[in-house]
Amino acid sequence: MTVTMEPSLGDVHAVVEEVWSSFLGAEEPILPLPTPMPPGGWSAAITVSGGWDAQVTVQLTDPGAVHVTSTMLMCGEDDCTDEDLRDALGELVNMVGGNIKSLMAGAAVLSLPLVGHGDISPGSHLVEVCRLDLTWRGEPVVVTVHTPPPPAVA
Amino acid sequence: MHALIIDDSRTMRSILRRIVTELGFETTEAGNGQEALDHLESGLTPDICLIDWNMPLMDGYTFVTRVRADERWRNVTLMMVTTESEHGQIVRALAAGAHEYVIKPFTPDAIIEKMELLGLVAQEVPA
Repeated sequence: MTVTMEPSLGDVHAVVEEVWSSFLGAEEPILPLPTPMPPGGWSAAITVSGGWDAQVTVQLTDPGAVHVTSTMLMCGEDDCTDEDLRDALGELVNMVGGNIKSLMAGAAVLSLPLVGHGDISPGSHLVEVCRLDLTWRGEPVVVTVHTPPPPAVA
Repeated sequence: MHALIIDDSRTMRSILRRIVTELGFETTEAGNGQEALDHLESGLTPDICLIDWNMPLMDGYTFVTRVRADERWRNVTLMMVTTESEHGQIVRALAAGAHEYVIKPFTPDAIIEKMELLGLVAQEVPA
């Protein structure tokens, strides 16, 4: 991995793969296969501010979010509450966002995660600079990075 | 042996609890640095604290500085377990008195290896 001013798709993918293999089991890897994301589902977002400003978001379907939560908490899928989902997905985006932040130049601060059912809109001043469409256990996983647009060249 | 696990994520506390319980530790959990300090003030004497950095109310770095400033807890081993991986922050935490630093995501082996290095777990001797 290299330190740059903008995260590359490859670097973001490497971060996501590392988080997934460490906490969700290397035997069921997250695959670089786009699967259509139906409306609804869960979103978890974290904001980076300082030397590099960004919002990192992970989107999962309802079943995908439950798979993640039950695996991380080692509990039955039927036992996962919404509170469990919020906590597990918050930790997931915390790890993804924190490790993407470490690829960027300049000291920056990570916010506490925001998790909700449905979409989390990035700030209107942010544009999408990176999007990964992935599949885990047959369910789509979308990871996006939004940053402020580059300053206009005169 | 007793471990105090300090993380605002219940999920992460659960993951760490499973790892250290397998090593024979009893555990206490706290959701932020202030709650952890309250445990220490009320007489808990853990052998090790596993500490997240970003938490509400009191972050992990502040917790480390508070513990290191108090003679009562000079024997408590402090290990940061956090997504904060910038070199400057690692140096800052170690300078403040953390003994070890583990970056999330981690494998159970990474935690066990650090605890072996700290002398809290017997090192496996190759057969």
